[in-house]
Amino acid sequence: MLGDNARSGGQPSQTWRAPRRTRWQISLEGAVRGSPILQGELLYVPSLAGFLNAINIRSGRLQWRFKAPAAIHSTPSLSLGRVLFGCDDGKVIAIDAATGTKSWEVASQDEVWASPIFQNESVYFGSADGNMYAVRAESGAPQWKQMLGGRIYSSAHVAKRRIYVGCGDGNIYGMDAATGQVLWKTATGNGIDCSPAVDRYSVFIGSQDFVFYSLDAGSGAVLWRYEAELGISSAPAISGDLILFGCKAGTLHALDIRTGKMIWKSRIGQAITAPPVINGSVVWLQAGFTFALNLSDGRVLWKANLGNSVQSAPVVTKDVVYLAGMEGEIYALE
Amino acid sequence: MDRRTFVKRSCLGSLALSLDHWGTSPAFSQDVIPPAPPIHVTEPVGVQVSPLRMPGLYPGRVVEISDARSIVANRVSQAVVREMLERGMRELTGEKDLRQAWGKFLQPQDVVGLKINPSGAPACCSSPEIVREIVAGVQSVGIPVRNIIVYDRYAYEMDIGSYQTLVPKGVRVTGVQENKLDASGYDPDIFCEANFFGEWETRSYMANIVASGVTKIINVPTMKDHSAAGVTGCLKNLGYGTFNNVDRSHRRPFSFTDPLIGIMCSTEPLRSKAVLHIMDGTRMVWHGGPLTQNQDFIFPAGLIMVGTDPVAMDTIELEKIEGKRSKEGAPSVWSRDPKSLTSDGAEFYQDASKNLYYRQPHHIAAAGKLGLGVSDRKVIEHRMIRIS
Repeated sequence: MLGDNARSGGQPSQTWRAPRRTRWQISLEGAVRGSPILQGELLYVPSLAGFLNAINIRSGRLQWRFKAPAAIHSTPSLSLGRVLFGCDDGKVIAIDAATGTKSWEVASQDEVWASPIFQNESVYFGSADGNMYAVRAESGAPQWKQMLGGRIYSSAHVAKRRIYVGCGDGNIYGMDAATGQVLWKTATGNGIDCSPAVDRYSVFIGSQDFVFYSLDAGSGAVLWRYEAELGISSAPAISGDLILFGCKAGTLHALDIRTGKMIWKSRIGQAITAPPVINGSVVWLQAGFTFALNLSDGRVLWKANLGNSVQSAPVVTKDVVYLAGMEGEIYALE
Repeated sequence: MDRRTFVKRSCLGSLALSLDHWGTSPAFSQDVIPPAPPIHVTEPVGVQVSPLRMPGLYPGRVVEISDARSIVANRVSQAVVREMLERGMRELTGEKDLRQAWGKFLQPQDVVGLKINPSGAPACCSSPEIVREIVAGVQSVGIPVRNIIVYDRYAYEMDIGSYQTLVPKGVRVTGVQENKLDASGYDPDIFCEANFFGEWETRSYMANIVASGVTKIINVPTMKDHSAAGVTGCLKNLGYGTFNNVDRSHRRPFSFTDPLIGIMCSTEPLRSKAVLHIMDGTRMVWHGGPLTQNQDFIFPAGLIMVGTDPVAMDTIELEKIEGKRSKEGAPSVWSRDPKSLTSDGAEFYQDASKNLYYRQPHHIAAAGKLGLGVSDRKVIEHRMIRIS
């Protein structure tokens, strides 16, 4: 998801250059909440009309689209030549990334807004029914499910042997990836829909209790906490010694990853629920407008009003930035 | 085949309702607002009129519960609002047993919609903590969790409020429309029709979830100033949160929220289904509503109001917001001073002396005139419980 499972921001770093024009623009059927993802020449974009759209980035035209049984809030992910996404009817569906034909599907009992995560030949996802699920990536055959204490809208981070995920019951869970056993849980003061980021030893996640947490990945012990102005839904991104996240108060925070000390804070304006995307020295963010900020001090370098946006994050490549507006407009900026 | 039949009624918006201005509006003598055009309502006939329909079981009664601990450092306390709501429900109904109190309004076979107000999220919206307590109350009657639906018109505003994550497992959370032009969630047979400013679409349709999706509605408004309506409380949250295409009722500097809000609330089956109103007054927006995120204008009022009469509750709300504005040196929401108007949205959000429209708080009294409740302050039975 968002380029890589470590949430370090995605694509390799590039030299900053402000977009100057729109290479192409396409209007999809239905609103868009999830983020686009890119592989090869295809940009995959989910829509609330229930379509997974594959757009050819050279032509800007729809190559194919797959009709799911319900709206798709989930940001897709990739595994074994397939695109995976969750659906509002509780299914997770795997389709062939090249042709758009369905490979398999698996059902949970409530909507799946979180992204399915591929790791260890398995796919892991949380559902609003309160379960974390593991299925075989090849076939979708169930491996295990584990009931947690609340609804799950947080996309899990999956390491080789561990899963980390936030939950609507206000807990952050550390689980065994092979069995689903809960190894530890750490309580916060309100529900969590933020998705965690993980470095070697620590889990980073925000809560609706206004606090951003760093936890010991092995035990769940709180290493440091940082208080923001309002709830935190925006998944963090890591770049070197910095960890960044957005707050619903409309502020983007950059903290020292070891201490939690604030390095800078930038007031964007509108509520931020989408994750920031770091590309070299630039942070990209969608929060109503689309912003590019200087990573070292949070200064706004560029902004554009390109289709109001909630929850979505852009895809940044060497020459082009791809982004989705809330009303279903997709832009390729160069 | 749908065998429903529909009837059209006309409301002389400018005449019948505005005559009441003389008695209730401090601004009428200086009013500069043109008369509202006739508003036609098409609604189903043969709907069984509920004995619980607005103004409900307790006309004129407003129970206000205050506790300063309910909001501290901008965080709402689950435990404190639980106690406040329990006290309020007991006081409203006179029942000692909470289950009996909720049972005055709900039966186990009901499908219950909780009409929240997420506009203004995240700074001021219906608190998930209060919504969770209402869910518990509804469940106490024996209603399955899958028959509880938290809803509003705009799904993306609910997303910003994270309601999906924060309500108990099994509760359905749904928005009527995903974007501004999506009309698929509305009933084409139930609508209010008026031409206010020459707009091309003159109808506003009722949401399907209200028309046919739920059997009862618990209204969970917030306590906010509103740049066009004067305040947004029970009536505005219910009327403009049920019908689409409502922005057209105001065009700067004029607003026809009076009388449209009341007329919408009087339309069946909305009027019959809205049986209880629980106003989240933990935060009060005294300027910049309904969408402001400016914390300078958001006051931790620390109260909840409970009642079945939306007119009486909004009358009290209006009094509180007027009082706070006066204390802060801001003009009355009844002001008709053209110097207070601005066309600059940014200025409005920063300056409490500026507004975008001539506000129309008289929509509350107009709704009273339509039979939705009591607006005469002298008649309203305002019970106050101060916990801490």
